[in-house]
Amino acid sequence: MQRNIVTVAPSASLFEARDRMREGNVRQIPVTGGDGRLAGILSDRDIRGAVLPGGLVPGFSAEDAEKFLKDTPVGKVMTRKVITATLSDTLEDAIVLMHDFKVNALPVVDRDGKVVGIISRTNVLEAFIDVLGIGEVSSRIEVIVPDKPGTLAQLAAIISSFHVNITSVLATGHVEAGKRANFFRIATLNVAPIKKAIEEAGFEILDPSRYTL
Amino acid sequence: MKRLAFAYHPDYLLHAPPFEHPESPERLLAIVERLRTAGLLDRLIPVTPDYAAEEDILAVHGREYLEKLESACRRGDLTLDAEDTYLNRHSYNVALLSAGGAVAGSKAVAEGAADRAFCAIRPPGHHAGREAGMGFCLMNNVAVAAKYLQARHGVGKVFIVDWDVHHGNGTQSVFLEDPSVFFFSVHEHPTFLYPGTGRRWEIGKGKGEGTTLNAPMAPGAGDDEYRLTFEEMLTPAVERFRPEIILVSAGFDAHRDDPLADIQLSDEGFRFLTRRVAELSDAYCGGRMVAVLEGGYEIGSLTSCIEIHIRELLGE
Repeated sequence: MQRNIVTVAPSASLFEARDRMREGNVRQIPVTGGDGRLAGILSDRDIRGAVLPGGLVPGFSAEDAEKFLKDTPVGKVMTRKVITATLSDTLEDAIVLMHDFKVNALPVVDRDGKVVGIISRTNVLEAFIDVLGIGEVSSRIEVIVPDKPGTLAQLAAIISSFHVNITSVLATGHVEAGKRANFFRIATLNVAPIKKAIEEAGFEILDPSRYTL
Repeated sequence: MKRLAFAYHPDYLLHAPPFEHPESPERLLAIVERLRTAGLLDRLIPVTPDYAAEEDILAVHGREYLEKLESACRRGDLTLDAEDTYLNRHSYNVALLSAGGAVAGSKAVAEGAADRAFCAIRPPGHHAGREAGMGFCLMNNVAVAAKYLQARHGVGKVFIVDWDVHHGNGTQSVFLEDPSVFFFSVHEHPTFLYPGTGRRWEIGKGKGEGTTLNAPMAPGAGDDEYRLTFEEMLTPAVERFRPEIILVSAGFDAHRDDPLADIQLSDEGFRFLTRRVAELSDAYCGGRMVAVLEGGYEIGSLTSCIEIHIRELLGE
């Protein structure tokens, strides 16, 4: 989560909230009271939605919109029912929450309801990039294995016999029943002998030219 | 017929792996033997490389990295980091001589002693960044040549075409913010192949935004896809950039017989790549073109493609 967060008071104007969001380059901003406790959340969409009805009035100018933003307090527009994460929630919890409740960001609150951070979709994507080892200098190999215990250990042993580091592993289901797919990112350019050894051990290497990008 | 310089030094064979490894001295031995039996060697202008000058290397690599590399070789380390990038006690000097080969070929072309040059050098260079050798590469030969041409021969704009099947991450990083060197790389898509960079939106940074261009190819792509990429991406890029010379990071591991990747180029595909770049250099930079060897690990396809490459460079 991000610990340096931009917040805004319910009494602040939408104009000020928009400025803070722009400065912090965020699209959601937790709304906190004087005690630091979470009072709501405001998104750039909430602000646009609040201005929109005025835009339908004939003669509504940019100046009128600015005046409206300056005159309207955040507390009037914010979402009060906020989906939050707690400090003891895991990254998995956060991903499921964001998916199930269709939210773009989760304020993180402590036991007292004080906001201590925020997790955005961008943070989740960063975690995925990290976990998948994307951007680390490496090669990827895909192995189809029978769905039984011990195969991952066997593959890891083969790779380690080449003195090559595994930088990430992903083991998932496979379209074929009774099989699973294991994806390895390994820190070597020289993949040919490793692929050969894996095939000689009886595993199937997925030919990348057989799937479409 | 074009006058083609050929930069080679027997000491390139001294950098040899302490264990089984695809980047071996046999690659160069086989190349030279092939050119001899094909009767091509006598038609080339031999150029004897010297060790690259310190200031030319320092234009690309940090002193700290060079010292680390030199002491690792002197200590007798077998590898730089992992087994990909092996060392022996000759490796530091051979790497200097390899960069010196790219410099020698460039010098011959810049001074007009030859129209084009092929540099049969090793270890390869395009994965080596300012502070790190990796992926069989110790010093970035093509980057040293580009900087050398700019510093010593008053060349303004240099275009680098990297058709090694692996993305030239080292070269890209050296010139990422440099608008005077255009880096174009065509390679197997980074999701599937080492080093995992060279995505289509990597286009340079700061002042260098727009002078890096990456063409990731799907596994299984071959002659047709490469032809299209050269027509649709490379040609307009050269036309817009107007370089004074084209350097080629010429790897031959995108061949269908090469075991290290999934790209399916044929011998004729490599003929097209060479011919197209030669045509572009004729059209936009007075024919000046210098190719430096990068990868290519299957001896049969490596030697036959290099024979084709040399014949095309000669303009037969």
